[in-house]
Amino acid sequence: MGLLSIIRKIKRKEKEMRILMVGLDNSGKTTIVLKINGEDTSVISPTLGFNIKTMTYNKYTLNIWDVGGQRTIRSYWRNYFEQTDGLVWVVDSSDLRRLDDCKFELHNILKEERLSGASLLILANKQDIQGALSPDEMAKVLNLDAMDKTRHWKIMGCSAYTGDGLLEGFDWLVQDIASRIYVLD
Amino acid sequence: MEEEQEDLPNPNQASEKTLDAASRKHAAMLERLANRKQSLSSRKPSSDSNPDSFESTHSFLSRFSQSKLSIDSDLSRSKSKSDLDRVSISISDLEKLVAENSYFLPSYEVRTCLKTISDLKQTVENVTSEIVPKKKFGFKNKKASTGFVPEIEPEIQAFEQEKPSYPIRELPGFREKENEVLVKEFEGSEIGEFTISDLNFCEVRLKGCLRALFVHRLRNCKVYVGSVFGSVLIEEVEGCVFVLASHQIRIHHARESDFYLRARSRPIIEDCNGVRFAPYCLSYDGIERDLREANLEEETGNWANVDDFRWLRAVQSPNWSVLPENERVGGVTISNLDE
Ligand SMILES: Nc1nc2c(ncn2[C@@H]2O[C@H](COP(=O)(O)OP(=O)(O)OP(=O)(O)O)[C@@H](O)[C@H]2O)c(=O)[nH]1
Ligand SMILES: [Mg+2]
Repeated sequence: MGLLSIIRKIKRKEKEMRILMVGLDNSGKTTIVLKINGEDTSVISPTLGFNIKTMTYNKYTLNIWDVGGQRTIRSYWRNYFEQTDGLVWVVDSSDLRRLDDCKFELHNILKEERLSGASLLILANKQDIQGALSPDEMAKVLNLDAMDKTRHWKIMGCSAYTGDGLLEGFDWLVQDIASRIYVLD
Repeated sequence: MEEEQEDLPNPNQASEKTLDAASRKHAAMLERLANRKQSLSSRKPSSDSNPDSFESTHSFLSRFSQSKLSIDSDLSRSKSKSDLDRVSISISDLEKLVAENSYFLPSYEVRTCLKTISDLKQTVENVTSEIVPKKKFGFKNKKASTGFVPEIEPEIQAFEQEKPSYPIRELPGFREKENEVLVKEFEGSEIGEFTISDLNFCEVRLKGCLRALFVHRLRNCKVYVGSVFGSVLIEEVEGCVFVLASHQIRIHHARESDFYLRARSRPIIEDCNGVRFAPYCLSYDGIERDLREANLEEETGNWANVDDFRWLRAVQSPNWSVLPENERVGGVTISNLDE
């Protein structure tokens, strides 16, 4: 992180974090966001553009950007990279056939310079489904160990359906971001 | 509302002149809308504080166009980094405005606005690089200057070398069959995902309630499904008929196929053509119970609310159509018998 970005962080509204949620379509991004916000998840359409949720988490204000993952609109993801503190990559752990696609898109996005300072939380979602890959298996498949050593990252199994793992994942993310950007407090 | 609408500029050809003429009226109208909105806010779907929501496409678009014009003019006058920072903030606000209103905006408008924002950001980036000389070495230029540097970075290559990239695992499903009738009944407690792939000239009957369904590479098949308490993902099918009920339905790369659907949300298609839609029409012993269990007993009419991600215009997509009533199957009754 260069001097400029440190100055930017200080200037920003205090205790605010910008979090970008991406991943293939159908992975469960919108469901996760609504679930952690305590909202009804019974009718969710595939996301055509994006949604923003502002929520208070511990003493922080999170601005969560949930962007649709259909192939046609993946090219819009780049519009949201700027000023991202935390990146949440959501993967459907039961969709084995599209794991290659998922890996490709993840690594594409990690090349992005504007995201190089962002903490990365990988949510191996849909753990409630029988036969879903475990987080360990998922880490191997996505070859996460090959990631740039300076990246702060964690993989977490979860289910937006039961809620398991979501808070644990976001706890880590928020703590990790806080320790990086609010160190100057 | 009516008299105001005819004064509103068409967003797609918004000229400065029409906007100017309309802008005073709008200010007044926005105020009224804001007041109206307060009285409506109790029945709004989300409890978010949403001060920028108008719930009217026309008033949203006129406000969007106004902001865009003012950003354009700010941009053209920007001389320093701090000017540009201010413009960036305005663009972010504009983006937020779109997000906050996207729940009622037609999809075409959302996409048009996103494109506009994306272009604005690009312009800011371009102007920034003119004003502020880059301090860093430009890795991006490397490729252009040598012409030989491979585009794939080492990190990525490492990922692509590993060939069998995911554990081969037997997930429940029907795979690689031809000319067969395939029947599966899901019991109440055993909820899981199911895959049907690589089938030709088969008939598939799935009864009961399942959580997720993946369909891949089917040709000339008939697929009848009870209820899916989750999502269905259908990719690469041709000459097929599907009758299914699900919370979410995504269809990619389908050709010349008919879909009889019940869905709790809007079905979406991407890279499809010749696909036709009709309402769900399946019956078997106990189907009412299965549908009720998955919260799918209600006919929402969503089978006709198809969103084509490849077709961003306001006019009907040429890739899908409503199946004419006289071409629909009257209704499908399935049993466990293989016939
Ligand atoms: N079984 C199970 N289903 C889930 C889980 N999370 C999400 N789903 C289902 O997965 C489907 C897709 O969820 P969405 O939240 O719409 O996925 P998304 O990533 O936002 O998709 P796009 O908006 O198209 O990018 C829905 O039918 C959800 O009910 C989970 O943890 N377990
Ligand atoms: Mg979504």
